[in-house]
Order: sequence, then C-alpha cells, then structure tokens
Amino acid sequence: MNRPVFILLGALAVAAAVFAGSYFTSQRVCVMTMSRSADDLSWLRDEFHLGAAEMARIRQLHEGYQPQCAKMCALIAAKNSEVQAILGHGTNLTAAGQRKLTELGELRAQCQAQMLQHFIAVSQTMPPEEGKRYLAEMMRVTLGSLEPTGQPMSGDTGHEQLH
Amino acid sequence: MNSIDAKLSALLRESRRSPSLPPRFQENVWRRIEAAEGPVKSGSWLEALAALILRPRFAFATVTALVLVGALLGTYQGAQTTRQNEQARYVALVAPAPLR
Repeated sequence: MNRPVFILLGALAVAAAVFAGSYFTSQRVCVMTMSRSADDLSWLRDEFHLGAAEMARIRQLHEGYQPQCAKMCALIAAKNSEVQAILGHGTNLTAAGQRKLTELGELRAQCQAQMLQHFIAVSQTMPPEEGKRYLAEMMRVTLGSLEPTGQPMSGDTGHEQLH
Repeated sequence: MNSIDAKLSALLRESRRSPSLPPRFQENVWRRIEAAEGPVKSGSWLEALAALILRPRFAFATVTALVLVGALLGTYQGAQTTRQNEQARYVALVAPAPLR
C-alpha cells in the first residue's frame, strides 16, 4: 500500500480510538457518579429546581402515596388475572367476562384518579410555574399513552421491583 | 619501536580493505540529507498531509483536542442519560406500567 495512505488510515484509526475511548469513559464515569448520589426524587429536585423545604414536603406526599399506589396496583393485577381466567376458557365474551372487564376498567380509573390527585398535590407544593410544568410533564408521560395503541395490560403490577 | 608500529598499522590497513562505494555515493548522501532537512515538497497533497500528521507537535495537539472534545461530549451525554434514568425511575414509582 502507498505509504501516505497507510499513514493517513493509521492516524484516522488512532484518532477514532482516542476519541471513542475518551467519550465512553467520561460518559460512564458521569453516569456512575451522578447515579450514585441519586434517590427516587432526585429528578424532581434537579428538573424543577426545588429547595430543601419543598423536597421535604414532596417526600412526605410521595411516601404517603406509595402504599396506596401499591395497593391499587395489586388489586388491578388480581382483577386482571380474573379477567384472563374467564376469557381464557371460551371463544366468546360471556356476561361474567364483560362484568370483570368493567370492574377492571373501574379499578384502573380509580387508580388513575388517585395518581392524578397525587400529581396535583405535588405540583401545588412547587413554585407555580414549575408546578405547571411538572403537571404537564406527568400528564404527558402517564396519560399521553392512554390511546388505543397504549401499552398492553399484563399481570405485572409494576411494583415488584419497586417495593 | 615507532617504525614497527607504522609497519603494523600499514599491515592492518592492508588486511581490512573497505568495499568500494557505489557510484555518486557522496552526492546521493547529501541529496538525502537535504531532502530530510528541507521543507516538505508537495509532491501530492496526500504526502503533505501524511508529513504533517507525523510531526510530533501536530500529533500531540490533535490527540489533546480529541481527548478534550470526547470528554466534554461524553460528560454531556452522561448527564442527559442520568437525567432520563432518574425521570424513568420516578415515573415508574408514581405511575406503574399498568396505568400507562
């Protein structure tokens, strides 16, 4: 191979390796360092610029909401299993199956209402502008996917790894 | 004593004759020395670039710049990733998957 071409290719390979090494190392170090000091509510504090007093109040609200949320999710998971047990037997929708589906929908609606209530309470703890932004963001990430193409229900309560 | 040394030296020189040099050896040596010391002749842009890359000062500056830019971009990307992970962690706690 031509000597200058060989030198250029070698230099490009070395440059790519140096850049990639530096990039991935600093990225990993940054993620590790920042994750180590993070707790469940770190995102709220950083994203909405909250002070210690606001965080203390939000932490209290959060700790009060968690058991209620876990209880509702367990009820939904149980009802979901009942629906699957009834629908799994036949090829048509029976009256019992329809009733279970309605109950499941009601449970989900109750749980969502409770969740929204919590979001509103948290947003009221923040400065008005940040509270509005928080509420809008939480609506977007939680209710934004309630359209028919939303995530399928499963037996998973979503709390197994959290509690 | 001196005459013996002189004879011995002559004999030694005779016994180790250096091989004859190729034609225009000295001229070629000087040409190569001048080419190495003189400015890079741009026979082609590729050769000029290769010569530039091989200069230690240029190589050191390039590596330093790459390390700095890589570290800055990596740190920025790491901060973004951490923020996304923290948001996902919070959302998973307050709005478990069956509700979304």
